[in-house]
Amino acid sequence: MHIEDGILPVGAWSAWYGATACFVYPGLQEIKRRVRENLSYKPFLSMVGVAVFVISAMHLPVPVTGSCSHPCGTPLAAIIVGPFATAVISLIVLFFQAIFLGHGGITTIGANDFSMGIVGGISGYLTWRLLRRFNAPLWLSGGAAGFVGDVMTYLTSAFELALSLHGHVPLVRQWMIFFAGYGPTQFPLAIAEAVFTAAVLQVMYDRRPDLLPQLANGRGVHKTRKPARESNAEAGK
Amino acid sequence: MKAGADNAAQSASWFDPFTRWMLIIMFILLAAIFGAAKYMDTHHMQGGGTDDTVNAMASQVAHVQSHPFIDLPGDAQVGAFSVANFFVGMIIGHNWKKLFDTGQN
Repeated sequence: MHIEDGILPVGAWSAWYGATACFVYPGLQEIKRRVRENLSYKPFLSMVGVAVFVISAMHLPVPVTGSCSHPCGTPLAAIIVGPFATAVISLIVLFFQAIFLGHGGITTIGANDFSMGIVGGISGYLTWRLLRRFNAPLWLSGGAAGFVGDVMTYLTSAFELALSLHGHVPLVRQWMIFFAGYGPTQFPLAIAEAVFTAAVLQVMYDRRPDLLPQLANGRGVHKTRKPARESNAEAGK
Repeated sequence: MKAGADNAAQSASWFDPFTRWMLIIMFILLAAIFGAAKYMDTHHMQGGGTDDTVNAMASQVAHVQSHPFIDLPGDAQVGAFSVANFFVGMIIGHNWKKLFDTGQN
């Protein structure tokens, strides 16, 4: 989903910058609010930010298709630090990836953030919330969020390209042509992202459920053992 | 006797549970990457990134030349990734310890 410089026309990449700004501004407000409410939010945000940086630059080989691609990490980030804050950290991540690692471009940061940080994050977050509302287990909700967020990211990237470049070809057809470049490699990685997201959420819940009140609602959590802090407190009695 | 007890208290194990699990997961992932890459190599697959593939497709459709903001030559990319990942690890470790350390280690 790292669209490079030179592909999107000026009008298109400017519009994607504008669309992204509509989510980044509330993201900054969300960060300010949550920093005031919760002392743990700052270390959470920095930890998640660098995790998204490395996950979204981590190219993994998929032998079925003979090509490599990377997961996103934004569905997990949206669950932990919030979907709008995820738009902000993705913007920073994509900027550093563009200027230091040769991933993506500067003019396309808006479009890339819209696909990875905004659509990927929000779709994953909504999937998570929906499944949790129906009392789905934590691992299933997290896993589904990871899968949906990953696939939606690449669907959006393909749509961004098709919207600007479809010419006389029907939009949907061009969209699917571009997605065919991503899809076969991305589906196995979306499954890997699902496993990763579920595992990280479960570990975090096991160790510090108090830091994740949105997880610790007691519904469908896979309780293999007591949270570490609780066990330590009991051991110290 | 007391000195021996102090030494035991000050000693640190090479593989505490966290390190052991991290190493196990790392080796599993690296083995999977190696296996996948080896399979691709023996079947003469290119192993290129899908981002590059789709950027090339889009360039062809738009009749333009796409380019990343910078293009790191040769092994410089590995170096850049290594530096970035080193500090990512440090920051995650630092914050993980602040947030999730159980005090057992």
